[in-house]
Amino acid sequence: MIELQGITKIYKMGSQTLEALRGVSLKIGKGEFISIMGPSGSGKSTLMNIVGCLDTPTGGRYFLDGKNVAGLTFDQLAAVRNRKIGFVFQNFNLLPYSTAWENIELPMLFDGKNHRKRKERVTELLQAVGLYDWREHRPSELSGGQQQRIALARSLANDPPILLADEPTGNLDSKSGQEIMDILMRLWKEGRTIVMVTHNDEIAAKSQRVIRLFDGQVVPERTA
Amino acid sequence: MFGTLVRNLVRDLVRQPMRTLLTLSGVVWGTFSVVLLITFGDSVSKAQMKQFHGMGQGIVLVFPSQTTLPWQGFVKGKPVRVTPEMVEAIPDKVPGLDLISPEFIGSRLISYGRQQFRNTVRGINPPFELMRNTIAAEGRFINPQDMESRKRVCMIGDVLASDLFGSDKPVGRTILIDNVPFLVVGVMRPKKQNSNYNGQRDERCAFIPWTTFGSLYGTKYVSNFIFRPQDPNQTKAVTEGVKRHLAKLIGFDPADPDALAVWDTMEFEKQISVFFLAFTLFLGLIGSFTLLVGGVGVASIMRVVVDERTREIGVKLAVGARRRTILWQFFGESIMIMLFGGAIGFGLSAAVIRAVHALPQKGFTEFIGSPTLNPLVIAATVLILLTIGVIAGMIPAKSAASTDPIEALKK
Ligand SMILES: Nc1ncnc2c1ncn2[C@@H]1O[C@H](COP(=O)(O)OP(=O)(O)OP(=O)(O)O)[C@@H](O)[C@H]1O
Ligand SMILES: [Mg+2]
Repeated sequence: MIELQGITKIYKMGSQTLEALRGVSLKIGKGEFISIMGPSGSGKSTLMNIVGCLDTPTGGRYFLDGKNVAGLTFDQLAAVRNRKIGFVFQNFNLLPYSTAWENIELPMLFDGKNHRKRKERVTELLQAVGLYDWREHRPSELSGGQQQRIALARSLANDPPILLADEPTGNLDSKSGQEIMDILMRLWKEGRTIVMVTHNDEIAAKSQRVIRLFDGQVVPERTA
Repeated sequence: MFGTLVRNLVRDLVRQPMRTLLTLSGVVWGTFSVVLLITFGDSVSKAQMKQFHGMGQGIVLVFPSQTTLPWQGFVKGKPVRVTPEMVEAIPDKVPGLDLISPEFIGSRLISYGRQQFRNTVRGINPPFELMRNTIAAEGRFINPQDMESRKRVCMIGDVLASDLFGSDKPVGRTILIDNVPFLVVGVMRPKKQNSNYNGQRDERCAFIPWTTFGSLYGTKYVSNFIFRPQDPNQTKAVTEGVKRHLAKLIGFDPADPDALAVWDTMEFEKQISVFFLAFTLFLGLIGSFTLLVGGVGVASIMRVVVDERTREIGVKLAVGARRRTILWQFFGESIMIMLFGGAIGFGLSAAVIRAVHALPQKGFTEFIGSPTLNPLVIAATVLILLTIGVIAGMIPAKSAASTDPIEALKK
């Protein structure tokens, strides 16, 4: 489903260059639940952004469902982000002036779904994350855990097969983190492919497989 | 989708009411300027044209002068002398003439009772009335019997009438022109007129038969004559015919450019209408600059807005907004400000125009005429507004749409 071949990402800052990714190759199959771990600055977020089609690699090839992503235009990538990939950020990235409802609705607006469909789906998602009664609240009136549940609901709006989460529990207390993990587990069991960045071994242990990054490279798997 | 878009736009604008208001005021003022300047330019032009028409439409004035070319043994500088009889005989020789009148002009002492003024007296014939718009409001104009019998009758201008008679009825009374009694047979209908030649405006003149003028004062030669061609499109040809005929009759070179000075009001009207069009366009241009300043205001405020909302743009792009969607969001906000401001500007201008209509038509307001918001002005303003709006909206919207999502999310 996701296949990376020798992905590199080089940042140029003036005369200096920084290799955030130095040839990352990996395969993630449909329905897998993967954790990505590694020290700070090892390139985890950079990798997630490339997989999530938010960013483009400097080199290497990325096949999504067998299609080379490098050939897509900005708007085609936007369509991929909109329908195929749900993205959850460490810092939620909700629109501050919009209500919980409107935040969840956003990806469906960009997909041109009609009012009735949007209403049905937002209702369904709000109930699934247990925040239906909070639908008219703005992010600033919600707790971190609640905000992340709204963000998670938003990432699912167009029912994408892939869910990417970059340290989804990083800013949360353990109880809220647990709630998020419960939802992720449920989504995985429903058949979604999930890739999650975490620093927490306990959380990583819930996934099927852990990919370790170090200094922009994948650390070979030690068979336990 | 569209409903949500509009709702979001309104919310975005209301979020910073002070800023929206200030931006709006620039556009309001700009629109106000454009509408008023064009409307008033248009109205001043029309008022001036109307006053010009007051002198007569489609007529040609001919002023006999001096020869400037030698002709058949005569040196140049010979005065060209035209008698009224020659003038009245022209239609027999030159085809295409509708009306023609000779004109004697003199400055005479006109009095009634204790009132006494030195005013212009014009010796003319009946067709003069139609050509020069000197229509009688009371009584009548000079008629053929007056001409025939050299009657001492006159029609007087409306201003002269009120100067002499106050509120009394002038028709049927006798006035003195250089101490010779004249019966007032008519008073001229008031008219707007600013173009003139040889003497005062018609409103202060006395009109008498040229036959009377000639015998009373011994004048032989006309100071000018006036004619109107049957077909306005043939004015040039008819004028040439008149010139050629008189050249042969009096003896001057038909190619002499100055022997007869000709004022073709049709030609002149074309020129001044071009001038007034340029005048109106110039005012419109000034107004457009004001509106442009308003547009620049919108553009710069929108830049700030785009900057402030970089993160929001990043989020939207991240969840699948296309560049076009972002572009429309910001473009839509600019256009909304422009259109809303434009609507208010139009309203204010309409109010001012209404107020001007309520003022009495005198002096300055007479100069302005009656400004109306005609469809052309509205179309022109809307066009200017949209052009500036599109440019002012596009620049920040483009920069918003070219945001890099990763960079934006880091903010
Ligand atoms: N836009 C950028 N310009 C320059 N350098 C960058 C940029 N983004 C990331 N980097 C660098 O690339 C490297 C990898 O960053 P990345 O954010 O992927 O690390 P990470 O593994 O997600 O770290 P953390 O655990 O702290 O989130 C870092 O050294 C970082 O400083
Ligand atoms: Mg990171």
